[in-house]
This record gives sequence, structure tokens and C-alpha cells, in this order.
Amino acid sequence: MSENNLLEMRQIEIQFPGVKALDKVDFFMRPGEIHSLLGENGAGKSTLIKCLTGVHHKDAGTIILDGKEIQPQSPQHAMEMGISTVYQEVNLCPNLTVAENIFVGRQPMKHGQIDWRTINRRARELMARFRMDIDVTRPLSYFSTAIQQMVAIARAVDVKAKILILDEPTSSLDDNEVQLLFDVMRDLRAEGMGIIFITHFLDQVFAISDRLTILRNGCLVGTYNIQDITKVELVTQMVGKDMDAIFNLKRPDVAPGTPDRLTATHIGSPGKIDDISLNVREGELIGFAGLLGSGRTETAELLFGVTHLSHGTIVLTGIGENAKQKGNKKIKNPYDALTKGLAFCPEDRKRDGIISDLSIRENIALAVQARKGFLHPMSRREQNALADKYIAELGIATPDAEKKIGELSGGNQQKVILARWMATDPRVLILDEPTRGIDVGAKAEIQRLMLEMCEKGVSIIFISSELDEIIRCSTRIIVMRDRKKVAELDGENCTQEKILTIIAEGAEAAGGVA
Amino acid sequence: MENNTNSRWQRLVKKLTNPKYIMVYATVGILLLIYLFGSIAYGNLASDPKSNKGFNTVRTITTLFVDNAYLGISAVGMTFVLITGGIDLSVAAVASLTGMFIAYGTTELGINPWICIAFSLFVGVGLGLLMGWVIHYLNVPPFITTLTGMFLARGVCSLISAKSITISNDVIDALAGWKVYLYHLKDGEWVKIKPTAYINFNIILFLVVLLVGIYLLQRTKFGRNVYAIGGNEQSAKLMGLPVGKTKVLVYGFNGLCSVLAGIAFTLYVKSGWNLSLQGGELDVITCAVIGGTLLTGGVGYILGTFFGVVLKALIPSLITFQGTLNSWWGKIATGLLLLLFIFIQKVVVSSSDANRKKNSQTAEKRIT
Amino acid sequence: MKKKIDLTQLLRSKVTWAIVAEILVLLVCLIARPDFFSLKIQEDTGMLYGNIIDILNRSSEITIIAMGMTLVIALGGTDLSVGALVAVSGAIALKFMRWDVAEYITPGDYSVKPYALALLVPLGVCTLMGLFNGFLIAKGGMQPIIATLILMVCGRGIAQITTDGRQFTTKFTPFYRIANSSFLAIPMPIIITAVVILLMWLFVRKTAFGTFVEAVGINRNASRLSGINAQMVIFIVFAITGLLSGVSGLIYSSRIMSNDSNNAGLNFEMDAILAVVIGGTSMTGGKFSLVGTAIGSIIIRTIVTLVYYFGIASEATMAFKAMIIAVVIVLQSEPVSNYLSKRARNRAKLATGGVK
Repeated sequence: MSENNLLEMRQIEIQFPGVKALDKVDFFMRPGEIHSLLGENGAGKSTLIKCLTGVHHKDAGTIILDGKEIQPQSPQHAMEMGISTVYQEVNLCPNLTVAENIFVGRQPMKHGQIDWRTINRRARELMARFRMDIDVTRPLSYFSTAIQQMVAIARAVDVKAKILILDEPTSSLDDNEVQLLFDVMRDLRAEGMGIIFITHFLDQVFAISDRLTILRNGCLVGTYNIQDITKVELVTQMVGKDMDAIFNLKRPDVAPGTPDRLTATHIGSPGKIDDISLNVREGELIGFAGLLGSGRTETAELLFGVTHLSHGTIVLTGIGENAKQKGNKKIKNPYDALTKGLAFCPEDRKRDGIISDLSIRENIALAVQARKGFLHPMSRREQNALADKYIAELGIATPDAEKKIGELSGGNQQKVILARWMATDPRVLILDEPTRGIDVGAKAEIQRLMLEMCEKGVSIIFISSELDEIIRCSTRIIVMRDRKKVAELDGENCTQEKILTIIAEGAEAAGGVA
Repeated sequence: MENNTNSRWQRLVKKLTNPKYIMVYATVGILLLIYLFGSIAYGNLASDPKSNKGFNTVRTITTLFVDNAYLGISAVGMTFVLITGGIDLSVAAVASLTGMFIAYGTTELGINPWICIAFSLFVGVGLGLLMGWVIHYLNVPPFITTLTGMFLARGVCSLISAKSITISNDVIDALAGWKVYLYHLKDGEWVKIKPTAYINFNIILFLVVLLVGIYLLQRTKFGRNVYAIGGNEQSAKLMGLPVGKTKVLVYGFNGLCSVLAGIAFTLYVKSGWNLSLQGGELDVITCAVIGGTLLTGGVGYILGTFFGVVLKALIPSLITFQGTLNSWWGKIATGLLLLLFIFIQKVVVSSSDANRKKNSQTAEKRIT
Repeated sequence: MKKKIDLTQLLRSKVTWAIVAEILVLLVCLIARPDFFSLKIQEDTGMLYGNIIDILNRSSEITIIAMGMTLVIALGGTDLSVGALVAVSGAIALKFMRWDVAEYITPGDYSVKPYALALLVPLGVCTLMGLFNGFLIAKGGMQPIIATLILMVCGRGIAQITTDGRQFTTKFTPFYRIANSSFLAIPMPIIITAVVILLMWLFVRKTAFGTFVEAVGINRNASRLSGINAQMVIFIVFAITGLLSGVSGLIYSSRIMSNDSNNAGLNFEMDAILAVVIGGTSMTGGKFSLVGTAIGSIIIRTIVTLVYYFGIASEATMAFKAMIIAVVIVLQSEPVSNYLSKRARNRAKLATGGVK
């Protein structure tokens, strides 16, 4: 290792109850580099970061910053030493102004009072440096998530940080915003700041980093220069097992002439989606491709009655054997959709999916029970049978069905939510980003499950930000752009380049398949 | 370069139209409406326009403050607590306890009133700090913690004496009786305003507490930390702000305000009673809410609370002037006012959400 | 081995602490006055008589309200209006049975034509007021504590308007019996409370309603997306709480045979919330325990009775209440209970030789 490391973390060990979270991990960083930290969920990335920022305390090892050994006690303490962090969710105060969010806790004072004028001026300068011209005296909640994220970074940068930690900063940004962020990161690198970059998007790792460090199961796998490693090698190192499981999936084929199960014609709702039509056939898997905010989730919410349908019709056919037949009236709310055989796994698992304090059993039985209504309770035996069945079938890792869902890992939580909807025996299952933020093993598992269900005749609408996963699984792919459906591809047309071109430039540029 | 004064004007306009002040404007607006209504309907009650008995007198306003200074003092502290996203139900009980300490100490035990006041301050601030500590470090909900504090303070009140004690002490009498009459220029001569309007010790105490509150909240790091905690406590922690210390101090400060309110109330009624100010905590919270403070935390201004106090005080005053309505209509009017304000808050919040969506779209364009 | 694990779980369970607290308080009573638990039958009324019965009897108003409050808190809210609804309920009931010396000079004219009206109208009005709370919260999207603050502020005003600010008294026998008669020697309020607890328990645990309440309390969004009609759940819970406040109000006014708009139900919301929290339901919502709540309510009353028993001024009971509640709440608080269960676990580990 070179002599002039900015940060050296040597032989770091952290013990959590029952598990060794970090086992003799080394992490070295030079000044003026962007260093990606990679690993599956539970690999120890965030534990390592939290150790550095003083949230967790190490049990063994040394941390040397700028040649001096440090013992970070709290985020505040770490910040004073020049380590600042931007978290995945914007960790600012929505009620304070932009300027104040940047300076709160270290406001310049004048005559025993806060010097508001200086704060606002410096905030304006700082935002200008980020190529943003916004009114810094407005409350933060007034601005979009992307801008809020930028403000968070501005705050982190302005504390004269030596090390800037960016923990999944790009997950809520679109491409332009990511580029903007990268520009800022390059500027900071040029100034000699060390940046630790954590992300799930491998493309971004290759686009911006100088070096990367891979962790797996709390152990160090290695540190590489970006030129010395390929994407496939990287993934193999992260997962530590053969990737065949993922790459050997067979997408469900649907014979021509298979009847439609769901037909939506010109549906829309003001401010969400203007007009979209689509049809889903029996046993088919429809992929939804497009950027965040392109209208994928909004379409799913329209179909499931989460958002009120203002125009257009949704026709469900051949549904009602298991559910209460309610005719083909409008779907007014999720309950209606549920009774008509629809199921919807929402994107934000924490906010819209899990009921964290209830047990796995209760979480699985919830939708079935909701369909029955509370006056027709399921007996404990029925619930247990249901829970045990899906725990076995989906391989949910838990000692028993009475564990709280909040205590499970992300992948297992996702499986429980999936089980909740599979238990309703849906005819059309809408999955919004079911594989986000879970590790590769669980991802493969969920993809396998989807395909199995299609074979049994369930129709699936699958929304994902990861193109290769959509291409791998889908019978047909609908490409969304600017809240519109711009293309529908099938068979050979489903190639990465084609979809990327459509997303970037619209359907006409790609040869007008619609 | 633009004209300097012009840009200063623009800056002022921009500052004043900042959406964060909407709730305060709403309070002021409704206050003006009600005042206008009062002055038109009951401006001059007697047929003789020179009788000076109506609503339109300086006296109406000073009486309003004399009668409600204690409420305002407590509301300042409560605003701090509410902005952090907490609540303090013990304020009225602590104020009542202060009254008991002063009344029992001076009248029954013959202790110097200043010592009684110092002791009250010690107990009130101490209880506040203790409650803050329990809320933050033991993670007990503020509602429960301060409810226990309220029971404790009320219980001690009753242990001291279950009867009302009338205070007879020179210092207290002097403080309570001290007043400055207001004069106005009439025919080139300064004469007392008629009917007599005056400012007493309580009003001055209220104004001092008000100014201290504004200074602390707007001009010090402590005050800004209070807002940050109310906005998002987790974020505040991650931003490295001293969350625990701030919260404990906020409850301590509120304890201080409660004791000062208790002193003001004691001077106002010149007695101590274990059951005085029953349910007063509710009045205090109501004042803060109709002054634009959100019970969810993060939003609120001392100045808004000030107008809230005036608005709340105006209602019984109007009912008195009206003359035929019973006092319980005041409760209903206050309830309706609360409903109105919560409704306005709701509309403001949802419209600012819509604004944000619009704004985020234009902002995205700006980035590209 | 199994026992040890159970011990850590028991130490974490808040209901356990509530029971321990109650037993401790009762032990203090027993040591101080060995005759504390004695029961007698009152000769003239044929009613059981004694401290324990008195505790149960006097706690019934709070217990009944706290049953509804448990659900409200499980939803993650609080209902501040219950105390005011008690006053409203009493005022309306007495309005129907008024025996106002000025208007009815002959004291025989107590009878109310349809007696049921005197009971049904107050209950109906209270249910409607509960629905009003529910409406503001479910449809208006307001925070429960603010929405119910409205009725808390103007509820007593409404009660006073109902009776025109007067205090009516009644001597109507059927009404008198609500709080003052007995069934199988057990005072009627205890019977009513037991029935309410039983019905509530059947309603929440023998249907899926309890689970729905918990689900909505923990994550309203996710519950809605799972097909639960969250708005309806909120409506039902607040309506039930309103109704139970009405029941409680009838018992209260039957005890004093009069209405008291200023003092009826004063601080009941506080006591009810305390009972729920002592009973182990978290203020942040989620899992709840009706039995725990009932125990919580009894604890509060036991403390009050204990203090009465030692001849301390009745108003001063609050101080003792506060101290004991403080102990229970501190023991229940997260850091303390985590620390205790950790110690228990360590001990268990030591006992089994430290095997992981």
C-alpha cells in the first residue's frame, strides 16, 4: 500500500449479537480518488461505513485518518474530523430552508446572533457551484427529491470534509441528475477529497470510480483498480457463487391466440398518466421498462385502483372462479381489485408492503383476510397452514412463522409480501421492482418463482429498473417514456440496445415499433 | 447593477411571500376580521358616543393582555415544545404549583417571596429538565411523561393545601398593584386615557418572555436545532446536532415559562389554589395551534403564538360585550376556531405539496 | 432451558410489568392493612362490599372508555374527546329525565315516557360524535390528537347548552339502578364493565378486526394496498370509542344522579390513555392488549383507593398516582426493558455454560 493514504482502516472487527458483522476488514483510500464500496446486502458495507461515522463502535482494529489514529464516537464527532456522509434517504429537515439545511449546527454568528445574510449568500454560492439556481430561502420540502439530494451533498461538501461518503445517492435520481452528481464528484476529486461511493448500479461504478473494494459476508474480498476488473468478474466476486442460476432462465412463451385476461383501454388519471392501453394474456409476463418516473408505477397503481381512474376502462376476463364475481365495473380501490383477482406488490417495500410489527403469519394472511372481510376470520389453523406452505415453497429463511416480518432481511421480506399475494391466488399479479435492494441470490429465486407462476397460468406485469432482468424474463416488453407508452416489443426485438435507444430518444429513433 | 433600494424592496417582498409564513398570516387575518366585527358590532354600546364603554377602546386591548398575560407566557414555552414535535401537559399544573408555593410560603410560613419564587423556579425547571431527560433518553412518549408530571404537580399542590390561600404579602401586593397608566395627548396636554388603560407587571413579563422566545428561536443555534428536531429528529441526529441536549433544554425552558406563567397568574388572582388553572394546558396548546404551530412539529412562530393568544382571548371578551350569550359559547367558538385553523393548515400543506410537484418539474428542466 | 427463554420474553412483555406492579401495590395494601382484602355483604342492599369490590366498581368508567382507547392507540392515535363525551352523555340523559323543582313541583313526575330514549339518545349522540372524529381523521386526514382536540374543547360547551347550563337531578329508579344496584351481589358497574370487555374481546379477537386495527396502526399505506379498508377501520374504532364514552357517561351520571358538565369525565382521557399505556400498548400504535388495559385501569384505581385508605386528602392521590405510574413507565421503557432482558439472557447463557 502506498504511504500517503488518506484513510486506513485496518483489521476492523465488529461483533453483533450472534453474528460477526465485520471480520478483519482492511480498507485503504488515497486522497483525490473515488472509491466504490460493493457487496450484497448484509455483506457489511453499511456496517463499515457506520463504523467510520461513529454510529457503530469497532471491537478491534485501527482507523487512521491523515496519519492520525481516530476513534469516531458519533456522527457529529466524525463530522468534526472531516468525515461527512450523504445517506440514501434524504436526511435533512424538510421544514427548514435550503440555506439553513446546509448550515444548521454550524451557523456563522454575528453579535451573538445567527448571521442569516451570510448563510443565504453562501448557500446561493454553493448551489450555483452545483449548477442550480434555486431560491435558498424556501423550505426544503418545496423542492423535488433530486434537489433535496443535491442539498444534502452540498451540506456534506461544505463542512470541509476530507472524506465524503455517498451511500446510494443515485437511487432517486434520473440520468441527467446522475450526470450532474458525477460532475460534482469529479470536481471534488480534483480538489483532493476522497469519496466513498456505494451503489447498486454497476454501470455507475464503472463510470465514475477509480478503485473499488468488494466485501462479502463481513469479509474483505479485495480492492481493485477499475481497469483491472470486468463486470462479470465483479458480480462473481460479490456473489461468490456461480451465476448460472440467474442466466439460465427461460422466458414464458405464450401460444398465439391465447385469450386476454386483462385489457385496459385508454386509461388515465390527471397528473399521473394521460392515456395508456395494454393487454395481458393468460400466463404471460409483461415487462415494463423505462426510467424512474416514466409512468411505470403510476400505470400499475391505476390498474390496481390505488389511484382513481378518471377515464378509460379496464376489462378483466375469465376471472371470478375464486373470487367474488363483481362484474366488470370500475376498480374503485385496492379491495375491489383484490376481489377481482388482481394482486400488486408495491415498489416501496417498507412504506407500502410490510406491516413490520406483525408476524410473518399475519402478514401472509393479510390480503386473503382482507378479501374475506373482518367478519369472516380465518382460524389460526388456516393461517398457520397458509404461512407454513409459503415459508416452505418460497424458502423464507425464518425459524418459525411467528417472527416479526420487520426482523427479516430485505429479500425474505420481499418473499413474504410475494406470499401474501400468491395466497390470494391471483390471476393477474403486478410486481413493481420486486428485486430491488435484495441480494443476487434472492433475486434469482424471485425470478424463478415468477416464471413458475406464469407456467401455472398466472399473468404477471413485471416492473423493473434493471433491463437485463426484464429482457431475461418477459414475453413482451412495454417501454415507457415521459408518462407515455412509447413501444411494445416482443421476441427478437427485446434487445438491450433497442430498449435503451427507445428510452433515450423515443420510439421513432429506434425504427418505430409500437 | 440594479438599483439597490429596489432590490432591497424585492428581497423584502420575496421574504414576506415565503410560503412558510402563510399560517401566521391566516391567524392575523382572522384576528383582524374578528376585531373588525367586534368594533363594528359593539364599538360603542351606549347611545352616547362619548361614553367610551364599547369595544373600541384602548382599555379593551390592555384588559385583554392583563387578563391573559399568564396564558401568553406559557404559550411561548409550549411553542418550543410543540415545534420539537412534543407536547407538555404539565404546564398548568406547574403554574398552579408555583401559585401554591408562593401563597403558602409567604402567607402561611412567612418566607420571603423572592425565596419562594426562586424555589418555584428551581422545582419547575428541574421538573421540566427531568421530563425532557425521560422523554429523550428513556424514550417514553412526551404525552405520557408530561401527563405524569402534571399528576405529580397537581398532587403536590393538594398535599400543600386543599384550600384556596389568599396572599397577604407586601412584596406581592406591590408587584401585583404596580401599573403604568397610559396617557394620550388631548388639547396639547397629556391626560390619562379614559376609560383608564394601564400596563402592569404581567404584561411586561409577557413581552419580555415573548422577545426572549423570538430571540432564542430565530437567532440562536439552539432555536434552529429545535426546528431541525421537529422537522426530522433522525436527520437532525445524523446532521450532528445535539438532539438530546436540545430536547432536555426545551422542556426545561418550558418549565421556566410555566413557573413565570404561574407567577403572573398568582399576581393576577393574588391567591393560590390547588385546583386553579384546571385544564389550562389545553388553552395553552389551543393558543399555539391557532397561532399556526403544527402539532406534528417543525412549524411554528412565537409571533404566531402571540396572535393566537390574542385571538383566543378576544372570544370571551366579545361574548362579554355581546352580553346575552352564555360563557359556554366561548368553548364552542374556540372549538370551531380550532377546526377552522386545522382545516386551513390542511389546505396549506396540500397546496404546498402540489406546488412542490410543479416546482420539481420546472427545477428538473433547469438542471438540464 | 426453555424456562429461561420464556423468562426473557416475559421480561420484555409489558403486560407482565403491569401485573407485577398491580401485585406490588396490593402487597403494600396487605402489609399496611391486613384487612384490606376483607369482603362483606351489605345487609340492606345485599351487595358485596370491600376494597377490592370498590376498586373494580370505581374503575369501571375508565375501564370502559379505555377499551375503546386501546383500539385508538393501536391505530397510532389518541382520543382526547372522551372526557367531554362523558359530560355530553350525562347531560343528554338528565335532560330527558329532568326533575327540575321549578317545572315539576310534584315529586311524582319523574317518569320518562319511553325510558329507553334517555339511554339511547345519549349513546347515539356520543357515537355520532365519535364518527365526527373518525370523519376528520379518515377523510380529512388530520392527526387524531388534533381532530379530537376540537370536541374536547367544545364538548363541554355542548353539554352545557343541552341543559342550558343548569344542573338537573333525578330520582328516577331505573336510572338509579345502572350504577347502584347489584346482580348476584356484584355491583352493576362491574357487570357492565365485564360485559363490555367480553364483547370487545370477542369483537376484536374472534373476528379479524383486531388484526386489521394493528395492521392499519403499524402501516396504513401497506394495509390499504393489501385490500384493507383503512378508512372504515378508523370510522369503526372512533365510533366505538364514542359509544363507550357514552356508556361511561351514563354510569357516571347514574352514580351522582345528576349531570355535571364541568366535572363529569374530567381528565378521563388522561386516565384512559394511561391505563392503555400501563397495560402495555405502545403509543406509536400496533400490537395491543385489552386485558393489559383493564389491568392498567385497575392499577390506577388501586393506587387511588390505597391513598384514600390511608386518609390522605383525595386531591393528593394524584401525586402518588404519578409516582407509581412513573415507576411502571420507566420499567416498561425500551432502554430499561432491553437492559433487563439482556441481563436475564446473560444469566441464562451462564447457566447453560455459555453455549451459543
